[in-house]
Amino acid sequence: MEFLHRNGSPPIQVQRLQVQRYWDLTYALVIRNLKVRYRGSFLGVYWSLMNPLIMTVIYTAIFGKVFGSTTYIQLTDHPMINYSLTAFTGLIVINFCAASTSQALTSVVNNGALLNKISLPPSVFPVSAVMANVFQFAVSTLPLLIIISLITSKSLLNALALLVPFTGLVGTCAGLGLIVSGLYVFFRDLPYLYELVISMLWITSPVFYPAEIVPENIQPILMLNPLYSVIKSIRQIALSGGLPDSDLMINSLLSGLIILAIGWTCFYRWQPQYMDLL
Amino acid sequence: MSEIICLDRVSLWRRTQEEFSYDLKKTVLSFMEGKYHEPARKLILDDINLLIRSGEKIAIIGANGAGKSTLLKVICGILKPTQGQVRVKGKIAPLIELGAGFDGDLSVLDNIVLYGVMLGFSRKEMHRRAASILKFAALEEYSYIPVKALSSGMSARLGFAIATDVQPDILILDEVLSVGDEIFKRKCKQRIDNFWNGNTTVLFVSHSLDAVRANCQRAIWLDRGKIQFIGNAQEAVHYYLASTHQNPEHQNSEAELHPV
Repeated sequence: MEFLHRNGSPPIQVQRLQVQRYWDLTYALVIRNLKVRYRGSFLGVYWSLMNPLIMTVIYTAIFGKVFGSTTYIQLTDHPMINYSLTAFTGLIVINFCAASTSQALTSVVNNGALLNKISLPPSVFPVSAVMANVFQFAVSTLPLLIIISLITSKSLLNALALLVPFTGLVGTCAGLGLIVSGLYVFFRDLPYLYELVISMLWITSPVFYPAEIVPENIQPILMLNPLYSVIKSIRQIALSGGLPDSDLMINSLLSGLIILAIGWTCFYRWQPQYMDLL
Repeated sequence: MSEIICLDRVSLWRRTQEEFSYDLKKTVLSFMEGKYHEPARKLILDDINLLIRSGEKIAIIGANGAGKSTLLKVICGILKPTQGQVRVKGKIAPLIELGAGFDGDLSVLDNIVLYGVMLGFSRKEMHRRAASILKFAALEEYSYIPVKALSSGMSARLGFAIATDVQPDILILDEVLSVGDEIFKRKCKQRIDNFWNGNTTVLFVSHSLDAVRANCQRAIWLDRGKIQFIGNAQEAVHYYLASTHQNPEHQNSEAELHPV
Protein backbone atom coordinates (compact mmCIF):
# COMPACT_ATOMS: atom_id res chain seq x y z
CA MET A 1 0.00 0.00 0.00
CA GLU A 2 1.42 3.33 -0.98
CA PHE A 3 -0.17 6.66 -0.52
CA LEU A 4 0.58 10.26 -1.24
CA HIS A 5 -0.43 12.80 1.32
CA ARG A 6 -0.44 15.79 -0.95
CA ASN A 7 -0.28 16.95 -4.53
CA GLY A 8 -1.69 14.86 -7.34
CA SER A 9 -4.35 12.20 -7.10
CA PRO A 10 -3.22 8.70 -6.17
CA PRO A 11 -3.14 5.87 -8.72
CA ILE A 12 -6.31 3.91 -9.50
CA GLN A 13 -5.71 0.84 -7.37
CA VAL A 14 -4.93 3.05 -4.38
CA GLN A 15 -8.19 4.92 -4.97
CA ARG A 16 -10.08 1.63 -4.96
CA LEU A 17 -8.36 0.70 -1.71
CA GLN A 18 -9.38 4.03 -0.25
CA VAL A 19 -13.02 3.48 -1.22
CA GLN A 20 -12.90 0.01 0.34
CA ARG A 21 -11.36 1.43 3.51
CA TYR A 22 -13.92 4.23 3.66
CA TRP A 23 -16.71 1.67 3.41
CA ASP A 24 -15.15 -0.57 6.10
CA LEU A 25 -14.75 2.41 8.40
CA THR A 26 -18.31 3.61 7.87
CA TYR A 27 -19.64 0.12 8.48
CA ALA A 28 -17.64 -0.32 11.68
CA LEU A 29 -18.67 3.11 12.97
CA VAL A 30 -22.36 2.52 12.20
CA ILE A 31 -22.17 -0.75 14.15
CA ARG A 32 -20.51 1.09 17.03
CA ASN A 33 -23.18 3.77 16.91
CA LEU A 34 -26.05 1.29 17.00
CA LYS A 35 -24.47 -0.98 19.59
CA VAL A 36 -23.81 1.88 21.96
CA ARG A 37 -27.33 3.19 21.46
CA TYR A 38 -29.20 -0.06 21.95
CA ARG A 39 -26.86 -2.11 24.14
CA GLY A 40 -27.85 -5.48 22.77
CA SER A 41 -31.62 -5.02 22.88
CA PHE A 42 -32.73 -5.25 19.28
CA LEU A 43 -36.22 -4.01 20.09
CA GLY A 44 -34.60 -0.73 21.07
CA VAL A 45 -34.67 0.22 17.39
CA TYR A 46 -38.45 0.35 17.59
CA TRP A 47 -38.26 2.72 20.51
CA SER A 48 -37.46 5.41 17.95
CA LEU A 49 -41.02 5.07 16.63
CA MET A 50 -42.38 6.26 19.96
CA ASN A 51 -41.60 9.89 19.34
CA PRO A 52 -43.43 10.34 16.01
CA LEU A 53 -46.35 8.18 17.16
CA ILE A 54 -46.90 10.14 20.35
CA MET A 55 -46.53 13.45 18.54
CA THR A 56 -49.03 12.28 15.91
CA VAL A 57 -51.57 11.55 18.62
CA ILE A 58 -51.03 14.96 20.20
CA TYR A 59 -51.21 16.86 16.92
CA THR A 60 -54.32 14.95 15.89
CA ALA A 61 -55.98 15.71 19.21
CA ILE A 62 -55.21 19.42 18.90
CA PHE A 63 -55.41 20.16 15.17
CA GLY A 64 -57.30 17.18 13.78
CA LYS A 65 -60.65 18.89 13.96
CA VAL A 66 -59.51 22.13 12.39
CA PHE A 67 -57.30 20.80 9.61
CA GLY A 68 -58.75 17.32 9.14
CA SER A 69 -61.22 18.31 6.48
CA THR A 70 -58.82 20.57 4.60
CA THR A 71 -55.91 18.12 4.49
CA TYR A 72 -54.21 17.81 1.15
CA ILE A 73 -54.97 14.12 1.09
CA GLN A 74 -58.57 12.92 1.37
CA LEU A 75 -57.85 9.27 1.89
CA THR A 76 -60.81 8.17 3.97
CA ASP A 77 -64.09 9.69 4.95
CA HIS A 78 -62.77 10.19 8.40
CA PRO A 79 -60.97 13.56 8.74
CA MET A 80 -59.14 12.52 11.92
CA ILE A 81 -57.51 9.53 10.19
CA ASN A 82 -56.60 11.67 7.18
CA TYR A 83 -55.02 14.21 9.45
CA SER A 84 -53.11 11.75 11.60
CA LEU A 85 -51.60 9.98 8.58
CA THR A 86 -50.59 13.31 7.06
CA ALA A 87 -49.04 14.47 10.31
CA PHE A 88 -47.24 11.15 10.81
CA THR A 89 -45.62 11.17 7.37
CA GLY A 90 -44.36 14.70 7.99
CA LEU A 91 -43.15 13.94 11.50
CA ILE A 92 -40.99 10.97 10.53
CA VAL A 93 -39.19 13.08 7.95
CA ILE A 94 -38.50 16.01 10.25
CA ASN A 95 -37.54 13.66 13.08
CA PHE A 96 -35.09 11.82 10.89
CA CYS A 97 -33.51 15.09 9.81
CA ALA A 98 -33.29 16.56 13.31
CA ALA A 99 -31.84 13.39 14.86
CA SER A 100 -29.32 12.53 12.18
CA THR A 101 -27.95 16.04 11.67
CA SER A 102 -27.60 16.83 15.36
CA GLN A 103 -25.77 13.54 15.89
CA ALA A 104 -23.54 14.38 12.94
CA LEU A 105 -22.91 17.89 14.28
CA THR A 106 -20.77 16.79 17.24
CA SER A 107 -19.24 13.75 15.55
CA VAL A 108 -16.02 15.22 14.20
CA VAL A 109 -15.16 17.16 17.37
CA ASN A 110 -16.07 14.22 19.60
CA ASN A 111 -13.67 12.02 17.69
CA GLY A 112 -10.92 14.65 17.66
CA ALA A 113 -8.69 12.61 19.96
CA LEU A 114 -8.95 9.69 17.57
CA LEU A 115 -8.16 11.87 14.55
CA ASN A 116 -5.00 12.95 16.36
CA LYS A 117 -3.91 9.34 16.79
CA ILE A 118 -4.83 7.53 13.61
CA SER A 119 -5.01 8.82 10.06
CA LEU A 120 -8.73 8.72 9.20
CA PRO A 121 -10.87 10.63 6.72
CA PRO A 122 -12.83 12.95 9.08
CA SER A 123 -15.97 12.78 6.95
CA VAL A 124 -16.62 9.16 8.00
CA PHE A 125 -17.88 10.43 11.35
CA PRO A 126 -20.81 12.58 10.15
CA VAL A 127 -21.54 10.12 7.34
CA SER A 128 -21.73 7.16 9.71
CA ALA A 129 -23.88 9.15 12.15
CA VAL A 130 -26.41 9.70 9.37
CA MET A 131 -26.10 6.10 8.16
CA ALA A 132 -26.88 4.75 11.62
CA ASN A 133 -30.14 6.68 11.45
CA VAL A 134 -30.79 5.34 7.95
CA PHE A 135 -30.52 1.80 9.31
CA GLN A 136 -32.84 2.62 12.17
CA PHE A 137 -35.36 4.20 9.81
CA ALA A 138 -35.13 1.30 7.39
CA VAL A 139 -36.04 -1.32 10.00
CA SER A 140 -38.62 0.60 12.01
CA THR A 141 -40.35 3.44 10.14
CA LEU A 142 -39.93 2.45 6.52
CA PRO A 143 -41.82 -0.89 6.84
CA LEU A 144 -44.72 0.99 8.38
CA LEU A 145 -44.67 3.48 5.53
CA ILE A 146 -44.52 0.66 2.98
CA ILE A 147 -47.55 -1.03 4.57
CA ILE A 148 -49.50 2.23 4.45
CA SER A 149 -48.61 2.71 0.77
CA LEU A 150 -49.58 -0.86 -0.10
CA ILE A 151 -52.93 -0.45 1.61
CA THR A 152 -53.75 2.88 -0.01
CA SER A 153 -52.42 2.24 -3.53
CA LYS A 154 -52.54 -1.58 -3.73
CA SER A 155 -49.49 -1.25 -5.94
CA LEU A 156 -45.95 -2.45 -5.37
CA LEU A 157 -44.73 0.43 -7.48
CA ASN A 158 -45.67 2.92 -4.76
CA ALA A 159 -43.83 0.92 -2.12
CA LEU A 160 -40.69 0.93 -4.26
CA ALA A 161 -41.09 4.57 -5.23
CA LEU A 162 -40.83 5.55 -1.55
CA LEU A 163 -37.11 4.89 -1.85
CA VAL A 164 -36.67 7.87 -4.16
CA PRO A 165 -37.79 10.67 -1.79
CA PHE A 166 -36.12 8.76 1.04
CA THR A 167 -32.82 8.84 -0.86
CA GLY A 168 -33.37 12.56 -1.29
CA LEU A 169 -33.92 12.86 2.45
CA VAL A 170 -30.70 10.94 3.21
CA GLY A 171 -28.78 13.16 0.80
CA THR A 172 -30.20 16.31 2.40
CA CYS A 173 -29.34 15.15 5.91
CA ALA A 174 -25.87 13.92 4.95
CA GLY A 175 -25.16 17.26 3.28
CA LEU A 176 -26.45 19.26 6.24
CA GLY A 177 -24.60 16.92 8.63
CA LEU A 178 -21.31 17.44 6.81
CA ILE A 179 -21.72 21.21 6.87
CA VAL A 180 -22.62 21.48 10.55
CA SER A 181 -20.01 18.96 11.71
CA GLY A 182 -17.33 20.92 9.83
CA LEU A 183 -18.54 24.26 11.17
CA TYR A 184 -18.66 22.90 14.71
CA VAL A 185 -14.89 22.41 14.59
CA PHE A 186 -14.51 26.18 14.23
CA PHE A 187 -17.49 27.39 16.23
CA ARG A 188 -18.20 25.53 19.42
CA ASP A 189 -21.34 27.53 20.15
CA LEU A 190 -22.98 26.17 17.01
CA PRO A 191 -25.39 23.72 18.75
CA TYR A 192 -27.39 26.64 20.17
CA LEU A 193 -27.71 28.20 16.78
CA TYR A 194 -28.50 24.87 15.17
CA GLU A 195 -31.43 24.35 17.52
CA LEU A 196 -32.87 27.51 16.01
CA VAL A 197 -32.29 26.16 12.51
CA ILE A 198 -34.08 22.92 13.43
CA SER A 199 -37.01 24.92 14.82
CA MET A 200 -37.13 26.87 11.58
CA LEU A 201 -37.15 23.68 9.53
CA TRP A 202 -39.85 22.33 11.81
CA ILE A 203 -42.22 25.26 11.51
CA THR A 204 -41.66 25.80 7.78
CA SER A 205 -42.30 22.14 6.98
CA PRO A 206 -46.01 21.54 6.49
CA VAL A 207 -45.99 18.84 9.16
CA PHE A 208 -49.00 19.64 11.28
CA TYR A 209 -50.70 22.21 9.06
CA PRO A 210 -51.72 21.86 5.42
CA ALA A 211 -49.45 23.88 3.12
CA GLU A 212 -52.57 25.46 1.61
CA ILE A 213 -53.25 27.63 4.65
CA VAL A 214 -50.00 29.53 4.12
CA PRO A 215 -50.53 32.87 2.27
CA GLU A 216 -49.62 32.57 -1.39
CA ASN A 217 -46.85 35.17 -1.30
CA ILE A 218 -45.14 33.28 1.52
CA GLN A 219 -45.42 29.84 -0.10
CA PRO A 220 -42.32 30.25 -2.34
CA ILE A 221 -40.27 30.83 0.82
CA LEU A 222 -41.43 27.49 2.17
CA MET A 223 -40.08 25.88 -0.97
CA LEU A 224 -36.59 26.85 0.22
CA ASN A 225 -37.00 24.28 2.96
CA PRO A 226 -35.25 21.20 1.56
CA LEU A 227 -37.58 18.88 3.49
CA TYR A 228 -40.67 20.39 1.86
CA SER A 229 -40.33 18.46 -1.40
CA VAL A 230 -39.43 15.23 0.43
CA ILE A 231 -42.52 15.40 2.66
CA LYS A 232 -44.71 16.28 -0.29
CA SER A 233 -43.44 13.38 -2.37
CA ILE A 234 -43.68 10.82 0.45
CA ARG A 235 -47.24 11.91 1.18
CA GLN A 236 -48.20 11.71 -2.45
CA ILE A 237 -46.76 8.20 -2.81
CA ALA A 238 -47.94 6.79 0.51
CA LEU A 239 -51.31 8.48 0.98
CA SER A 240 -52.79 9.65 -2.33
CA GLY A 241 -53.52 6.17 -3.61
CA GLY A 242 -52.54 7.24 -7.11
CA LEU A 243 -49.42 6.45 -9.11
CA PRO A 244 -46.20 8.05 -7.85
CA ASP A 245 -45.79 11.58 -9.15
CA SER A 246 -42.44 11.67 -10.93
CA ASP A 247 -42.06 15.47 -10.72
CA LEU A 248 -42.30 15.41 -6.94
CA MET A 249 -39.90 12.46 -6.79
CA ILE A 250 -37.32 14.10 -9.01
CA ASN A 251 -37.61 17.36 -7.05
CA SER A 252 -36.91 15.66 -3.74
CA LEU A 253 -34.09 13.54 -5.13
CA LEU A 254 -32.41 16.46 -6.88
CA SER A 255 -32.57 18.81 -3.92
CA GLY A 256 -31.07 16.04 -1.76
CA LEU A 257 -28.21 15.44 -4.17
CA ILE A 258 -27.50 19.15 -4.52
CA ILE A 259 -27.33 19.64 -0.76
CA LEU A 260 -25.10 16.57 -0.45
CA ALA A 261 -22.74 17.95 -3.10
CA ILE A 262 -22.59 21.34 -1.36
CA GLY A 263 -22.00 19.70 2.03
CA TRP A 264 -19.29 17.42 0.70
CA THR A 265 -17.51 20.32 -1.05
CA CYS A 266 -17.61 22.55 2.04
CA PHE A 267 -16.43 19.78 4.32
CA TYR A 268 -13.43 18.97 2.16
CA ARG A 269 -12.60 22.61 1.57
CA TRP A 270 -12.45 23.26 5.33
CA GLN A 271 -10.77 19.96 6.12
CA PRO A 272 -7.11 21.14 6.02
CA GLN A 273 -7.86 23.41 8.97
CA TYR A 274 -9.59 20.87 11.21
CA MET A 275 -6.52 19.28 12.73
CA ASP A 276 -5.23 22.59 14.10
CA LEU A 277 -8.41 22.94 16.14
CA LEU A 278 -9.04 19.39 17.32
CA MET B 1 17.28 -1.69 0.61
CA SER B 2 14.47 0.38 -0.81
CA GLU B 3 13.28 3.69 0.53
CA ILE B 4 10.18 3.32 2.65
CA ILE B 5 9.60 6.85 3.90
CA CYS B 6 10.39 9.90 1.85
CA LEU B 7 9.76 13.49 2.90
CA ASP B 8 10.38 16.03 0.20
CA ARG B 9 10.69 19.67 1.35
CA VAL B 10 7.95 19.27 3.92
CA SER B 11 6.80 22.33 5.82
CA LEU B 12 3.91 22.56 8.21
CA TRP B 13 2.20 25.68 9.45
CA ARG B 14 -0.29 25.43 12.28
CA ARG B 15 -2.52 27.86 14.09
CA THR B 16 -0.97 29.05 17.29
CA GLN B 17 -2.70 28.02 20.45
CA GLU B 18 -3.88 31.46 21.60
CA GLU B 19 -5.59 32.10 18.27
CA PHE B 20 -8.21 29.41 18.83
CA SER B 21 -11.52 30.96 17.96
CA TYR B 22 -14.15 28.62 19.20
CA ASP B 23 -17.06 30.96 19.06
CA LEU B 24 -19.41 32.00 16.29
CA LYS B 25 -20.80 34.87 18.33
CA LYS B 26 -17.35 36.34 18.96
CA THR B 27 -16.29 35.92 15.34
CA VAL B 28 -19.39 37.63 13.99
CA LEU B 29 -19.09 40.48 16.50
CA SER B 30 -15.40 40.98 15.78
CA PHE B 31 -16.25 41.11 12.07
CA MET B 32 -18.84 43.80 12.72
CA GLU B 33 -16.42 45.80 14.83
CA GLY B 34 -13.77 45.42 12.16
CA LYS B 35 -11.40 43.71 14.54
CA TYR B 36 -11.36 40.40 12.74
CA HIS B 37 -8.01 39.18 11.52
CA GLU B 38 -6.79 35.95 10.03
CA PRO B 39 -5.61 33.54 12.71
CA ALA B 40 -1.87 33.67 13.26
CA ARG B 41 0.13 30.70 12.10
CA LYS B 42 3.38 29.28 13.24
CA LEU B 43 5.94 27.28 11.32
CA ILE B 44 6.19 23.93 13.09
CA LEU B 45 8.18 21.94 10.55
CA ASP B 46 10.58 23.85 8.35
CA ASP B 47 11.64 22.37 5.03
CA ILE B 48 12.22 18.79 6.13
CA ASN B 49 13.95 16.45 3.69
CA LEU B 50 14.18 12.90 4.86
CA LEU B 51 14.79 9.54 3.29
CA ILE B 52 14.42 6.40 5.34
CA ARG B 53 15.22 3.00 3.91
CA SER B 54 13.38 -0.18 4.73
CA GLY B 55 14.64 -1.84 7.89
CA GLU B 56 16.37 1.20 9.33
CA LYS B 57 16.06 2.04 13.03
CA ILE B 58 16.00 5.78 13.35
CA ALA B 59 15.77 7.90 16.46
CA ILE B 60 14.41 11.42 16.59
CA ILE B 61 15.89 13.57 19.33
CA GLY B 62 15.49 17.18 20.30
CA ALA B 63 14.12 19.47 22.96
CA ASN B 64 10.46 19.58 23.94
CA GLY B 65 8.46 21.40 21.30
CA ALA B 66 11.08 20.83 18.63
CA GLY B 67 8.47 19.13 16.46
CA LYS B 68 9.31 15.46 17.06
CA SER B 69 5.76 14.26 17.61
CA THR B 70 4.51 16.52 14.83
CA LEU B 71 7.02 14.94 12.45
CA LEU B 72 5.75 11.48 13.42
CA LYS B 73 2.16 12.61 12.85
CA VAL B 74 3.05 13.88 9.39
CA ILE B 75 4.68 10.55 8.57
CA CYS B 76 1.59 8.69 9.84
CA GLY B 77 -0.65 10.85 7.65
CA ILE B 78 -2.49 12.33 10.64
CA LEU B 79 -1.33 15.82 9.70
CA LYS B 80 -1.04 16.90 6.09
CA PRO B 81 1.95 19.08 5.24
CA THR B 82 1.31 22.67 4.17
CA GLN B 83 3.99 22.35 1.53
CA GLY B 84 5.96 19.45 0.17
CA GLN B 85 5.27 15.79 -0.24
CA VAL B 86 5.23 12.74 1.99
CA ARG B 87 5.53 9.26 0.53
CA VAL B 88 5.15 6.22 2.73
CA LYS B 89 5.09 2.60 1.62
CA GLY B 90 3.71 -0.10 3.84
CA LYS B 91 1.67 -0.52 6.96
CA ILE B 92 2.35 1.75 9.88
CA ALA B 93 1.76 0.74 13.49
CA PRO B 94 1.52 4.02 15.37
CA LEU B 95 2.13 3.38 19.04
CA ILE B 96 1.17 6.85 20.16
CA GLU B 97 -0.85 7.27 23.35
CA LEU B 98 -1.81 3.63 23.69
CA GLY B 99 -5.29 2.91 24.92
CA ALA B 100 -6.79 6.24 23.90
CA GLY B 101 -9.34 5.88 21.14
CA PHE B 102 -11.38 3.05 22.54
CA ASP B 103 -15.12 3.35 22.95
CA GLY B 104 -15.74 2.70 26.62
CA ASP B 105 -19.30 1.49 26.09
CA LEU B 106 -18.35 -1.20 23.60
CA SER B 107 -17.11 -4.63 24.57
CA VAL B 108 -13.43 -5.53 24.33
CA LEU B 109 -14.16 -7.69 21.30
CA ASP B 110 -16.06 -4.93 19.46
CA ASN B 111 -13.26 -2.51 20.24
CA ILE B 112 -10.69 -4.89 18.78
CA VAL B 113 -12.60 -4.96 15.49
CA LEU B 114 -13.27 -1.21 15.46
CA TYR B 115 -9.69 -0.26 16.33
CA GLY B 116 -8.30 -2.70 13.78
CA VAL B 117 -10.53 -1.32 11.03
CA MET B 118 -9.37 2.18 11.91
CA LEU B 119 -5.76 1.02 11.63
CA GLY B 120 -6.58 -0.21 8.14
CA PHE B 121 -7.39 -3.91 8.49
CA SER B 122 -10.62 -5.46 7.24
CA ARG B 123 -13.40 -6.49 9.59
CA LYS B 124 -13.09 -10.13 8.62
CA GLU B 125 -9.41 -10.15 9.33
CA MET B 126 -9.95 -8.57 12.73
CA HIS B 127 -12.57 -11.17 13.68
CA ARG B 128 -10.07 -13.86 12.77
CA ARG B 129 -7.27 -12.28 14.76
CA ALA B 130 -9.31 -11.33 17.83
CA ALA B 131 -8.37 -14.54 19.66
CA SER B 132 -4.63 -14.03 19.33
CA ILE B 133 -4.95 -10.38 20.35
CA LEU B 134 -6.95 -11.28 23.46
CA LYS B 135 -4.41 -13.93 24.29
CA PHE B 136 -1.46 -11.59 24.01
CA ALA B 137 -3.18 -8.92 26.10
CA ALA B 138 -4.18 -11.67 28.57
CA LEU B 139 -7.77 -10.43 28.48
CA GLU B 140 -9.53 -13.60 27.31
CA GLU B 141 -12.05 -13.58 30.16
CA TYR B 142 -12.91 -9.96 29.43
CA SER B 143 -13.94 -10.21 25.79
CA TYR B 144 -17.60 -9.29 26.37
CA ILE B 145 -16.98 -6.72 29.05
CA PRO B 146 -17.17 -3.01 28.14
CA VAL B 147 -13.77 -1.38 27.89
CA LYS B 148 -14.64 1.24 30.51
CA ALA B 149 -14.63 -1.57 33.07
CA LEU B 150 -10.96 -2.28 32.34
CA SER B 151 -8.15 -0.64 34.27
CA SER B 152 -6.03 1.88 32.36
CA GLY B 153 -3.15 -0.58 32.28
CA MET B 154 -5.40 -3.23 30.77
CA SER B 155 -6.66 -0.93 28.02
CA ALA B 156 -3.10 0.13 27.19
CA ARG B 157 -2.23 -3.57 26.92
CA LEU B 158 -5.14 -4.04 24.57
CA GLY B 159 -4.03 -1.10 22.44
CA PHE B 160 -0.53 -2.45 22.16
CA ALA B 161 -1.77 -5.95 21.34
CA ILE B 162 -4.03 -4.73 18.52
CA ALA B 163 -1.47 -2.41 16.96
CA THR B 164 1.31 -4.99 16.96
CA ASP B 165 -0.56 -8.23 16.25
CA VAL B 166 0.70 -8.25 12.68
CA GLN B 167 4.30 -7.32 12.05
CA PRO B 168 4.09 -3.78 10.69
CA ASP B 169 6.39 -2.44 7.98
CA ILE B 170 6.92 0.71 10.00
CA LEU B 171 6.75 0.92 13.75
CA ILE B 172 6.37 4.31 15.37
CA LEU B 173 7.42 4.44 18.98
CA ASP B 174 6.60 7.64 20.78
CA GLU B 175 7.34 7.73 24.52
CA VAL B 176 9.03 4.86 26.29
CA LEU B 177 6.74 1.89 26.51
CA SER B 178 5.80 1.57 30.10
CA VAL B 179 2.38 -0.03 29.88
CA GLY B 180 0.97 -2.67 32.12
CA ASP B 181 2.62 -4.70 34.80
CA GLU B 182 6.04 -6.29 34.80
CA ILE B 183 4.94 -9.45 33.01
CA PHE B 184 3.33 -7.48 30.23
CA LYS B 185 6.25 -5.10 29.95
CA ARG B 186 8.50 -8.05 29.31
CA LYS B 187 6.13 -9.37 26.63
CA CYS B 188 6.03 -5.94 24.99
CA LYS B 189 9.75 -5.66 25.02
CA GLN B 190 10.09 -9.09 23.48
CA ARG B 191 7.71 -8.27 20.68
CA ILE B 192 9.37 -4.95 19.99
CA ASP B 193 12.76 -6.66 20.02
CA ASN B 194 11.45 -9.09 17.43
CA PHE B 195 10.37 -6.25 15.19
CA TRP B 196 13.61 -4.48 15.92
CA ASN B 197 15.67 -7.44 14.81
CA GLY B 198 13.43 -8.14 11.84
CA ASN B 199 12.92 -6.07 8.74
CA THR B 200 10.59 -3.56 10.37
CA THR B 201 11.53 0.08 10.01
CA VAL B 202 11.46 1.70 13.42
CA LEU B 203 11.00 5.38 14.17
CA PHE B 204 11.82 6.01 17.74
CA VAL B 205 11.29 9.18 19.75
CA SER B 206 13.03 9.07 23.05
CA HIS B 207 14.45 11.28 25.69
CA SER B 208 16.68 8.47 26.85
CA LEU B 209 19.81 9.27 24.89
CA ASP B 210 21.44 6.10 26.19
CA ALA B 211 18.75 4.01 24.54
CA VAL B 212 19.19 5.97 21.31
CA ARG B 213 22.93 5.37 21.25
CA ALA B 214 22.55 1.70 22.10
CA ASN B 215 19.78 0.82 19.66
CA CYS B 216 19.81 3.08 16.63
CA GLN B 217 22.22 3.43 13.77
CA ARG B 218 20.92 6.77 12.64
CA ALA B 219 19.39 9.67 14.45
CA ILE B 220 17.70 12.92 13.51
CA TRP B 221 18.29 15.96 15.66
CA LEU B 222 15.36 18.30 15.37
CA ASP B 223 15.45 21.83 16.68
CA ARG B 224 12.58 24.30 16.36
CA GLY B 225 11.15 22.45 13.40
CA LYS B 226 14.38 22.23 11.47
CA ILE B 227 16.59 19.22 10.97
CA GLN B 228 19.93 20.21 12.43
CA PHE B 229 21.63 16.92 11.78
CA ILE B 230 20.91 13.51 10.30
CA GLY B 231 23.40 10.74 10.53
CA ASN B 232 25.28 8.55 12.92
CA ALA B 233 23.39 8.28 16.20
CA GLN B 234 26.48 8.87 18.35
CA GLU B 235 27.27 12.08 16.50
CA ALA B 236 23.69 13.30 16.59
CA VAL B 237 23.49 12.83 20.35
CA HIS B 238 26.84 14.54 20.72
CA TYR B 239 25.78 17.60 18.72
CA TYR B 240 22.45 17.78 20.47
CA LEU B 241 24.07 17.66 23.90
CA ALA B 242 26.63 20.25 22.88
CA SER B 243 23.87 22.61 21.78
CA THR B 244 22.11 22.33 25.12
CA HIS B 245 25.29 23.37 26.89
CA GLN B 246 25.79 26.37 24.65
CA ASN B 247 22.28 27.79 24.78
CA PRO B 248 21.12 28.81 28.22
CA GLU B 249 17.56 28.95 26.86
CA HIS B 250 17.65 25.19 26.55
CA GLN B 251 18.40 24.68 30.22
CA ASN B 252 15.13 22.94 30.79
CA SER B 253 15.57 20.48 27.99
CA GLU B 254 15.34 16.85 28.89
CA ALA B 255 19.02 16.25 28.20
CA GLU B 256 19.68 18.14 31.40
CA LEU B 257 17.09 16.15 33.25
CA HIS B 258 18.52 12.87 32.07
CA PRO B 259 22.25 13.37 32.38
CA VAL B 260 24.13 10.78 30.41
